[in-house]
Amino acid sequence: MRESGAGYLLLALGITSALLLTVDINSRLLDPVRSTLSSVVSPIYVVAETPYSLSRGLGQTFAARETLQAENEQLRRRVLELSQVSAQFVTMRDENARLRELLGSRRRLGSEVLVAELIGVIPTPNTLQVEIDKGSQDGAYVGQAVIDAEGIFGQVVEVGAYTSRVMLIADVAHAVPVEVNRNQFRSIAAGTGAFDALELEYVPITTDIVTGDVLVSSGLGGRFPRGYPVAVVTSVRVDPTLPYAQVRAKPLAALDRSRHVLLVFEIDDVSGDVEETQAEDAAADDSASTGETP
Amino acid sequence: MNPFNGGWVIIATLIVAMVLAVFHLPETLPQWLGWLRPSWIVLVVFYWVMALPQRFGMISAWVTGLLVDVLHADPLGVNGFCLAALTFVTWSFYERLRMYSIAQQAGVVLLMVLGVELIRMTVQAVARDGGFTWAVVLPALTSTLIWPLVAAALASVRRHVQVE
Repeated sequence: MRESGAGYLLLALGITSALLLTVDINSRLLDPVRSTLSSVVSPIYVVAETPYSLSRGLGQTFAARETLQAENEQLRRRVLELSQVSAQFVTMRDENARLRELLGSRRRLGSEVLVAELIGVIPTPNTLQVEIDKGSQDGAYVGQAVIDAEGIFGQVVEVGAYTSRVMLIADVAHAVPVEVNRNQFRSIAAGTGAFDALELEYVPITTDIVTGDVLVSSGLGGRFPRGYPVAVVTSVRVDPTLPYAQVRAKPLAALDRSRHVLLVFEIDDVSGDVEETQAEDAAADDSASTGETP
Repeated sequence: MNPFNGGWVIIATLIVAMVLAVFHLPETLPQWLGWLRPSWIVLVVFYWVMALPQRFGMISAWVTGLLVDVLHADPLGVNGFCLAALTFVTWSFYERLRMYSIAQQAGVVLLMVLGVELIRMTVQAVARDGGFTWAVVLPALTSTLIWPLVAAALASVRRHVQVE
């Protein structure tokens, strides 16, 4: 082996890497390559997760009888509560649909969910992304909304055959279009890189927004379904020297604790198609803004 | 007796390094502890290139890097380039590096991991809105501290399986 030959090889690999990088950063052309590679490496996540899945499994197997009974009882009560709420919800949904018909607007879209389990956490400290155990075989697609029991969790950014990668809403590269539940003020909740904080962008200092306001997804941008809770405002700081108020919010979804998340499939349970409804929604709200960066 | 001259051992150690690279601490611990993770893959690649330069070349390093890109959700090509460059440098000086004491090797590891992490951070800053942070020094320091253990472990593996 000679120095010079190795040097040329390094140069060639460097140029190839630079080309790959440029293409991968600026376009989605390499997505098929990524998803093939991610199918190859996904078992590594499963192996790395085994200590946790084993300990959970053992915990379940050897749980005391009393604990299980208590848990069972608690779950039974919860089911009862929730089924009562859901019965009310069905009535209200129908009523809402009727009222919307009266107003001449379309019905809201329905949605179906698929339960997915976390199988890994992307190790880079400043990226908040996780691997889940559902991939294109289960119908997952890039841009799909992911929620947990409390609120919006993130969106799918890469799909392999059996696994996919989800970017959490608190990732620095992520943003969700939201509205204040109380008065429909629209904004964009951008991630900060910390699990417990989102930042509202471009909030004029005169806006009516206070600590404790619940932010729900506005459905603008077409990625996230409308009306899911996203975060609760934790602080509003008005500095007269700055053009915008600094509003911070805490995500409602348990970003650092949820083991099970739900993939949302929007279905049209009545009539009309998805594109049209979204276009209409966007047209109705004049300052439509797309906040997500995939 | 020893199929592929023990090449599978190199692959196996790389897989172990990848598992360690994605293994995460319980969620109850603070997030910043993630910065203390040594660059396992860099350490393993460095060892094999130094010990068996004829077995582990730049192209193998580059392909390993592609897998690491997907594993770390980095833009494709970053880790490939880093590992190939690391292989090149190590390969150029492997005779001298082998003569070094373990502490001197650890010093080389510090520089290499720092270089790799800086390149990764720069690319991430360009690709997504990540910023620069001094925390990038931490993986280099922990890698340096853990190098004697990694080197000893890999050397004993190599002796037992007789990888040549």
